[in-house]
Amino acid sequence: MKNMARYRRRKRGNAIFLTLSTFSALFGLAWLAVILAALFYRGLVDLTPATFTEMTPPPGVPGGLLNAIVGSLIMNGLAVAAGTPLGLLAGTYLAEYGRYTRLSFFVRFVNDILLSAPSIVTGLFVYEIIVVRMQSFSAIAGAASLMVIVVPVVVRTTENMLLLVPNGLREAAAALGAPRSAIIKAVTWRAARAGILTGVLLAIARISGETAPLLFTALNNQFWSTNLYQPMANLPVVIFQFAMSPYEGWHELAWAGALLTTVAVLGLSVVARILESSKRN
Amino acid sequence: MEASVQEKTKIDVKNLSFFYGTTQALKDISMPIYDRKVTAFIGPSGCGKSTLLRVLNRIYELYPNQRAEGEVMLDGNDILNTKQDMNLLRSRVGMVFQKPTPFPMTIYDNIAFGIKLYERVSRSELDGRVEHALQRAALWGEVKDKLHESGLSLSGGQQQRLCIARTVATKPEVILLDEPASALDPISTAKIEELIDELVKDYTIAIVTHNMQQASRTSDYTAFMYLGELVEFDNTEKVFTSPTNKRTEQYITGRFG
Amino acid sequence: MRFRMLTWLASVGVLAIFAGVLVSLGVGALPAIKAFGIPFLYTEVWNPVTAQFGALASIYGTLVTSLIAMLIAVPIGIGIAIFLTEICPRPLRRPIGIAIELLAGIPSIIYGIWGLFVFAPWFQSGLQPWLIDLFSDVPVLQDYLGGAPYGIGVFTAALILSIMVLPFISAVTRDVFETVPPTLKEAAYALGCTTSEVVWRVTLPFARTGVVGGAMLALGRALGETMAVTFVIGNAHHIQTSLFAPGTTISATIANEFTEAVGPLYLSSLIEMGLILFFITFVVLAAAQLMLGALERRAGGVSS
Repeated sequence: MKNMARYRRRKRGNAIFLTLSTFSALFGLAWLAVILAALFYRGLVDLTPATFTEMTPPPGVPGGLLNAIVGSLIMNGLAVAAGTPLGLLAGTYLAEYGRYTRLSFFVRFVNDILLSAPSIVTGLFVYEIIVVRMQSFSAIAGAASLMVIVVPVVVRTTENMLLLVPNGLREAAAALGAPRSAIIKAVTWRAARAGILTGVLLAIARISGETAPLLFTALNNQFWSTNLYQPMANLPVVIFQFAMSPYEGWHELAWAGALLTTVAVLGLSVVARILESSKRN
Repeated sequence: MEASVQEKTKIDVKNLSFFYGTTQALKDISMPIYDRKVTAFIGPSGCGKSTLLRVLNRIYELYPNQRAEGEVMLDGNDILNTKQDMNLLRSRVGMVFQKPTPFPMTIYDNIAFGIKLYERVSRSELDGRVEHALQRAALWGEVKDKLHESGLSLSGGQQQRLCIARTVATKPEVILLDEPASALDPISTAKIEELIDELVKDYTIAIVTHNMQQASRTSDYTAFMYLGELVEFDNTEKVFTSPTNKRTEQYITGRFG
Repeated sequence: MRFRMLTWLASVGVLAIFAGVLVSLGVGALPAIKAFGIPFLYTEVWNPVTAQFGALASIYGTLVTSLIAMLIAVPIGIGIAIFLTEICPRPLRRPIGIAIELLAGIPSIIYGIWGLFVFAPWFQSGLQPWLIDLFSDVPVLQDYLGGAPYGIGVFTAALILSIMVLPFISAVTRDVFETVPPTLKEAAYALGCTTSEVVWRVTLPFARTGVVGGAMLALGRALGETMAVTFVIGNAHHIQTSLFAPGTTISATIANEFTEAVGPLYLSSLIEMGLILFFITFVVLAAAQLMLGALERRAGGVSS
């Protein structure tokens, strides 16, 4: 016979279980809300027109983040400009020429490791091969360390997006007598364009907040500098140094920088997501 | 339907309609399912026979936008009533699916799991119940030495009999079989059919099948459905030898579907 | 043919980056490896003045913060996945899923600055004294959750790490939950199971490999996370029993000290720690890769 006491106990267990799961989701959402609220609450107060027009100041003096913003744009730009072609070509090899080769197996494996590897380690790597050799911290080194982060992101999305291109399209192009390289450049890349662009946007979002690899490559620069062979100011490192300092004025700039960075990163992620879903439909 | 007079009705479907979103899949179906008899649902793909089966234990409720209207009386109580407890309903109306669905656990636990849901049994009693269920499903001889291996290690036919054993072990009143043999080889199919003959002594069985021979061999009553409507319902012999409807005749003689 | 070579070279370039990381860190770490040998791994001393270095405190901090973060994030991350696949009303699934994933999009430095200026002071004045009081008479726990309320410290770092890795676990878990064949879940419901029984007995066992893989991926992230930890861990090269005490991790030590490190041995010791970190995360991420890869093959097999 059915044991109703047992069933009531099971139903109670189920109710507890469902409540706990719901609380898990609330837990995650609550942190998101709390973090974003603090960020906007502090950041919006401290974000002024001067933030965009003045240089990072010495302690106790008002100033802005202009040199850091420009520095970040320059280094991000360089990293993406150098990392995208490399990632695009490697992803193309994985999806087109070497889909089933042993080399591709290793490249995929290593690429996925690099995708999640600690970014501070890539900073050490670039320090060893560029900073030590040039005997100076530099914007070049900073961009290189960011590039190491861009490449695996672009490789992964490029491969995934190219794999989504139906083989029929390749066959149709081949039937016209087009060589493989022309098929890839004229047909598959084009078909996967939105997806690949998504990957690049995600890569930019990823590096825009990266701090650790810049600490000992680009370092920081209190002054305006566009010299690629010199240390260059950048938002993340300025946020780090200013936040860890004892000066209230620097804290305010750190919050303003934090808000700018987050808006940029989340904005890019949202655009990438919209692009991705519009592609899917 | 004169034969139905002496039968006891287990489930009485009254004016049942069913909707997937705005698409109507069942149109005003009314029919009885008799106690301790096998009722077969036949008809071409998309006729609504599986949908009807899925209403009988309200498994469709797992998905949004699926909706049933009308009444389905189980022993005189409307199971479509919103107050009906879904889990208790399903413990009374068991179901076996087209593809075998062994749970990711041992053969023993696949059976014991269901028993322990609604009953408090001692270890030795549980052992006995598991053995009994496996014997009823004609599987005991094949698995008695590997009860603690994964249910996934069995062949397709064995897995399906394991799923039947699992359902039988929970002592339901009705067993729904949704094309239980369509994914199996002929030998396994024969075993399942023998099993149905055996089980009907204790259980009310409703089976959906594509296979005309299977319907005629195993069932006492047959319902022929077409485009969401119940075209003909009668005892199986009558449906297969002298159908009243032209469509039924065409279908069972293989002229369409 | 030239284009094909180019793509081949680029993919070899990916391997070269990986090899470059290993080799350059190995070369940079050589002086420290020569000077301290194996004991570097289990020596707690970290004294730049006498040039005596050991990585134990940092390794300990790295492992402990990540472990606590996983203890918090794994159950909650799975809970979120269950909420999203089983409980949440369908129209809300996508927005809530995206909101949780936004947690992964927030740069780690934001977690750091928020942890330092917002969370730590609140923790110090609110929850922490209460916790210390609560466990003050409980044996064992009084040692781990005792001491003075600093706000910052190992526990704070771990908590922030757990929030950061939450979306990795919930996203992977949700994805593998969706690979569970619907008929398998239907079969469980058809026996009269409740939702919790279906999840515990069918969905989770079926998705086990993927869930563990997702947790490993999150662990890999937690082990290597730098900025969020550096802000709030307190940077102390001592191993203390209390989780509320300040400590350090490998990445926090490197971030804090690298540019100020004078003397080749100091620098080399930091690089050796980077190498150790790379090695640990490599093992964890490789395991995650293998588990998730096996899953992809299975999912591919099922769908075809």
